[in-house]
Amino acid sequence: MAIVNLKDKTIQIKIVYYGPGRSGKTTNLEFIHNKLQQNRNQQISKLVSIDTKGDRTLFFDFFPVSLGKINGFDLKLKLYTTPGQVKYEATRRLVLKGVDGLVFVADSLASRQEANLESFENLKGNLLYHKQSLSDVKLIFQWNKRDIDENMIPLSPVEDMQKLLNSELNVQSFSASAVSGMNVLKTVNYISKETVRSVIEKTILNKHKINN
Amino acid sequence: MNTVIREDVVIKVEKILQDFIDESGATYALITDMGGNPLFTAGEEDFDVDTLAALSAANYATTKEIANLIKEDNFSLLFHRGNNENVHFAKITQDILMIVLFKPFLSLGLLRLKINSLQQKIISIIGD
Repeated sequence: MAIVNLKDKTIQIKIVYYGPGRSGKTTNLEFIHNKLQQNRNQQISKLVSIDTKGDRTLFFDFFPVSLGKINGFDLKLKLYTTPGQVKYEATRRLVLKGVDGLVFVADSLASRQEANLESFENLKGNLLYHKQSLSDVKLIFQWNKRDIDENMIPLSPVEDMQKLLNSELNVQSFSASAVSGMNVLKTVNYISKETVRSVIEKTILNKHKINN
Repeated sequence: MNTVIREDVVIKVEKILQDFIDESGATYALITDMGGNPLFTAGEEDFDVDTLAALSAANYATTKEIANLIKEDNFSLLFHRGNNENVHFAKITQDILMIVLFKPFLSLGLLRLKINSLQQKIISIIGD
């Protein structure tokens, strides 16, 4: 749920990286955070990670980033990841509260296709818990780990992954490598633009004012 | 659903929060939605407000889940004591949460009374 503050002229938008365990959600956020730190003069907020001793996400990773102005409003993007492991269902569900945009980070390893599907079904169920559906949020897919040498570890073809997860929705998708950074920024740029566009259309341009 | 907060609403609620800080001696007050977006603030801060809001909303939601797990509706007190700063969390409505930072020498009981009296004032402005 985006928040538009007409006094401070700010728009706050929540984007969540979702997907099965070890698909690369945290690595995506770490790459973005590092890039922003390198490229920008302004101070970037700390990347907060609530994880286990084994570096697996326990609750979420988070950092806010200012995207500049649009229509005179300061845009603030809040990037979150969810814990991918099945056992962290309760905390995963909590992170989805108020989500505006979703990046589903799918694991390209052939052996993880069932986990992708299971996580995607789990996403739908958890959105429903918050009385939302996929049509209420902006969603894109990222086919991660495309850099892996197929001679070493078998990967699922992108077409198969599209068919498995994106055949009905037919939304934007990117082949990516969170480790090398390939298409990581493209992914976040795309979901940011689309989510911002959708929020602005629904709020400021419609002059749809809800006072709570 | 997206939320647009009018300018007059921000001014009124932040005035209430500032008056509360002046009267109680609290350091900082923040109202956030349960999704972790800061809505209203008052007082001085030297930390990242967005991060405080995100972590507070998560903390509150987690505690509520623990309550549900042990068949409690919710816990009436959510409070952390520090050496230099304490933090108190209070649900204002189903969708918003108030976080107050205050020094350890202030009375928690008195502060809670003041926070309780704020709740109705804030609801009357933003609705429930």
